Amino acid sequence: MSGQRNRLSSMRLLRTLTPDRRRTAYAFGVAILLFAVGAIVRPGFAEWSSIQAVLTVASFVGFVAAGQMFVVLIAGIDLSVPWVLNASAILLVTSSLGQDDRTLWAVMLALGLGLGVGLINGLGIALFSVPAVVMTLGMNGIMEGLTLGLSNGFTCDACSSSAPPAVRGAVVSRLFGIPADLYLWVGIILLVSFVLSFTTFGRRIYAVGNNLRASYLAGINVRATTVILYMLSGMFAAFTGIALVGYGGSPSLGIGDPYLFQSIAAVVIGGVYITGGRGHYLGVAAGSISLAVLISVLQAMNMPEYGRSIVYGVVVLLVLLLYGRERREA
Amino acid sequence: MSGPEAGRGKRRGRWSHFSAQNVPLLLAFLILAGTVIFYVVLFYASLGRFPGNFELTSTTNSALPLVFATVGQTIVFLCRGIDLSVGGMMDISNSLAAVKMQDGGIGNMVGWSAIILLIGAVGGLLNGLLVAVGRLQPIVVTLATLSIYQGIAIKILPQPGGKIPPGYTAFLTNTSYPSALIFVALLILFWLIFRRTSFGVAIYAIGNDEEAARANGVRTTRTRVGAYVLGGVFAAVAGLFLAATTTGGDATAGDSFTLTSIAAAFLGGTTIFGGRGSALGSIAGAFVLSILISVLFFAGIDPLYQSFYQGLFLILAVVIGTLVGRLVGRKR
Amino acid sequence: MSASDSNSTAPAIEGTEISKTFGAVKALDGASFAARMGEVHGLVGENGAGKSTMIKVLSGVLSPDSGTVRVKGHQMELGNPQVAQASGIRTVFQELSLMSWMTVAENLLLRREPKGFARLLKRRDLAPRAEQVFAELGVENIDPLELVANLTLAQQQIVEIARNVIQDPEILFLDEPTSSLAGREVEWLFGLLDRLREEGRCVIFTSHRWREVERLADRITVFRDGKDVGTHAEIDESQVITLMTGRKVDTAYPEPPPLKEAEPTLEVRGLSGPKLSDLSFVLHKGEILGVGGLEGQGQRELFLTLFGADDLSEGEILVGGELTRIHSPGDAIRAEFGIALIPEDRKSDGLLLPMSVRDNLMLPVMGRYSVGGVIRGGTEKDLVEQMIERLQIRLRSADQAVDTLSGGNQQKTLVGRWLLADSRILLFYDVTRGVDVATKQDIYELMLQLISEGRSILFYSSETEEVAALSHRVLIVREGKLSAALEGPNINTEEMVAAALGEDVRA
Repeated sequence: MSGQRNRLSSMRLLRTLTPDRRRTAYAFGVAILLFAVGAIVRPGFAEWSSIQAVLTVASFVGFVAAGQMFVVLIAGIDLSVPWVLNASAILLVTSSLGQDDRTLWAVMLALGLGLGVGLINGLGIALFSVPAVVMTLGMNGIMEGLTLGLSNGFTCDACSSSAPPAVRGAVVSRLFGIPADLYLWVGIILLVSFVLSFTTFGRRIYAVGNNLRASYLAGINVRATTVILYMLSGMFAAFTGIALVGYGGSPSLGIGDPYLFQSIAAVVIGGVYITGGRGHYLGVAAGSISLAVLISVLQAMNMPEYGRSIVYGVVVLLVLLLYGRERREA
Repeated sequence: MSGPEAGRGKRRGRWSHFSAQNVPLLLAFLILAGTVIFYVVLFYASLGRFPGNFELTSTTNSALPLVFATVGQTIVFLCRGIDLSVGGMMDISNSLAAVKMQDGGIGNMVGWSAIILLIGAVGGLLNGLLVAVGRLQPIVVTLATLSIYQGIAIKILPQPGGKIPPGYTAFLTNTSYPSALIFVALLILFWLIFRRTSFGVAIYAIGNDEEAARANGVRTTRTRVGAYVLGGVFAAVAGLFLAATTTGGDATAGDSFTLTSIAAAFLGGTTIFGGRGSALGSIAGAFVLSILISVLFFAGIDPLYQSFYQGLFLILAVVIGTLVGRLVGRKR
Repeated sequence: MSASDSNSTAPAIEGTEISKTFGAVKALDGASFAARMGEVHGLVGENGAGKSTMIKVLSGVLSPDSGTVRVKGHQMELGNPQVAQASGIRTVFQELSLMSWMTVAENLLLRREPKGFARLLKRRDLAPRAEQVFAELGVENIDPLELVANLTLAQQQIVEIARNVIQDPEILFLDEPTSSLAGREVEWLFGLLDRLREEGRCVIFTSHRWREVERLADRITVFRDGKDVGTHAEIDESQVITLMTGRKVDTAYPEPPPLKEAEPTLEVRGLSGPKLSDLSFVLHKGEILGVGGLEGQGQRELFLTLFGADDLSEGEILVGGELTRIHSPGDAIRAEFGIALIPEDRKSDGLLLPMSVRDNLMLPVMGRYSVGGVIRGGTEKDLVEQMIERLQIRLRSADQAVDTLSGGNQQKTLVGRWLLADSRILLFYDVTRGVDVATKQDIYELMLQLISEGRSILFYSSETEEVAALSHRVLIVREGKLSAALEGPNINTEEMVAAALGEDVRA
């Protein structure tokens, strides 16, 4: 009986992976290819320490992209990522004042902020039918204003604090030579993939993403699902802010900005349909890695800023073209 | 024929239909009127006089880049797309103008303006081909081209600088009187004509339902590419107005316009799902967002909180629009 | 192949030995079809027999893998719809090609708008021109300035038909044109097609309703399993069904056994809501309660409200004698209520097409068989296999995407979902629409089986005979109110129609 069950589980995994397997493979393939290019251009690029650094950068994109993926799966989008990230990072620092004994409280506060913004986003979208673009864009502005205003342009007294050592340790310290942050990411990959493939919640997500009306008429609480997913997105954005601060030591203004477009790119490169209903996190992780490698390679090549921008855009387009066409919408 | 609720033979008047079908547009105008009134009231309360020629001129001039960027975004929205590269194209347009028009001369200015519009068209063409022929999703395509265009702009003008000849500024965004309103009028005229061309109708059609449009003989690929080309041209125009009004060049000045043009399009009643909306509403939406900044200023709001109020305003405007739309729908 | 005839002129349109394969499915297998000018030609067959595919090939939407297409004797490559349209072919597909957010007039005149100065549209002339068209075609009660999205499905179908007819086609295909029409609208279409025939045009249509095919068609071609199996000018229903299914199928409606006890399972008191006004009735255990009346009288709203998908403004619903608070389908499905709705449009409202059969079957009840939110694969597998076996759903594997199944099997999957949920009150809304004859019989048998298990069915169908034959009682709904309740062993369609029109009838 349990043998049957194991076979069934792997069949299920196969079922969820097979249509997207190609894309995941491509995403990983691109990453490896770019690594190779980097190694050629700058010896030492493919060394373990350098790979670790790149994977750490990738993990941050991966964290944000996890949240973004959840909402994109139901054909939504979260444009509030930049300032939820930034606000949480600053909140962590200002409420912990760099002290370990306040870490737990500060982390909960910061994550709570992400959950709260996500809740508001979800309610606006689910209850008031505000388009996701508008709602999250508006909340981004609101968070930006609140952060700048309440911290007085980041000149408040508490603002000059740095992250508590506990948080820094959780991100930067090493276990068997590998940064803790990467263990964290692997844990998240496993957890998120499990939820998507083996839980009723995951099935609900795919159902809503595929056909909202039919899901509703099958008894799924579409509104609750929507709200929860936006809360998850907010939480992941906040989590990324905490991790970034743990990595870098102290926050600044604008640290969240690059992560909006990065998370969207990672999600699409990872094979998630922007129209919802298809995709999984392994692909998104692969996409995050590809993007991080690309950025690092361009830096390693000492390319001037303008060149980096251009090449980044061209490579993303090439990867997309490689995937072939999206299906025509029914 | 089909049941009593079809209304045996009676027809609703033309205006009844128009108002019911254009709630978002009418709402946009209402919001514009409301914002203007707010502005006037706050201005008077603050300075003891009514806003005059100077205020009208400067408001119009600062709104114009957003107006054109939003109209371009709207056309793309109408065919169910999105253009995140608007900011990047504005950067290119702005930088190139500042670099190449420095020496003045009518021929120089006209020539380079034409070239910049052409570049806008080419940029839009790239977007359009990737989306319509390559069948890639617009959000990622334009995200990638945004990066490319931003890079090109920085190459053209690595540091803010360059100079826009005063003659150019006087023509586009004259600082003495609101001549720029003529361009708004031209834009409105353009739109009214555009709505009545088969190209314009085709864009609405593919936004409604691409398969159905194709079944009706609409050349969907061609139309979609054309929509993005127009989007690129309008972004380039917006960049020229930005250059004229700032009188100098800055390769990153256009970046914020991407998200703002999206917000303005929504305010104006266009949806991202295509097939519904109007550039007239978008023009109103762009003005609203521009005037809002002045409203916040005269209301004495701490400028650090500016984004907060802009975000809140956007959300409230759309929520109210939705609620009003539902009410109207229920009353019929 | 074609019936013997003495007419030697070339057919208006002809497909010869057409084959078309989609992946693993051979939709057309060397099928041939020909229709003449000045005739109305009926194309019949089960779902998946190849009728729609043949129409798509002859309309230029699909290119055949092999075979030739001839239009008026000339061989042609109809590479895309525009080429076909240029040859005078127009097609009204089942999926309407209308722009929801444009007005009726804009849709009607799309690409043929009245133009004025500088070839710009004259908006003012759109509505008057549309009115002209409607007057010519005998269409009433559709406002040209109304948004298509605000029309009923029937009105939309009429606009779609009109849109194609005014293009003056020589050859007109209509795929299930009456699927959303009823009563007078169907009569209107008949009149229109007769007129087109008189004008010498060639009309080809498909329909699952034998009455219509019989009434309209000069000749009938039957398709089965991707091949044509005969073209006839004279044929009766049972012969057609034998040709369609390849075997003898009993078309008699099975009779429900008489109700033994009248134990109420669902009671509705004073229900008012969108389009409903003060409806009261009782559904008994083991009963099939039919719902009749003209289309659009509130039947749909009744079903949606009972399922919690529409809000009621007043009134009470009691299940098993207990007052209920049902605010959403999620509530209705709960084991204590056990209400299930099978909607008319299984593709857009029922099934999640890209997801697997297993996912679709388990969706409403996955919570009952999971542990802490985690799916138990083994349990699900067993349940799903049992259900597939019980309903004889034809598929390769339960992990197959549901959109790879035939229409009949898709419908079975939908019904299977609610059997898995052990629903006791089943709201069947037009479950046999677009379903072939053999599967319809399966569904009738299933309905009888369900009531023998003590479940109850509220049954609405656009085919009045079905409702009359299968129901213990019939409620006639008119303008959102209960206008009559028919009982007794011999409810017939005449009674139902009379009651639907508001004429006095025995209660």
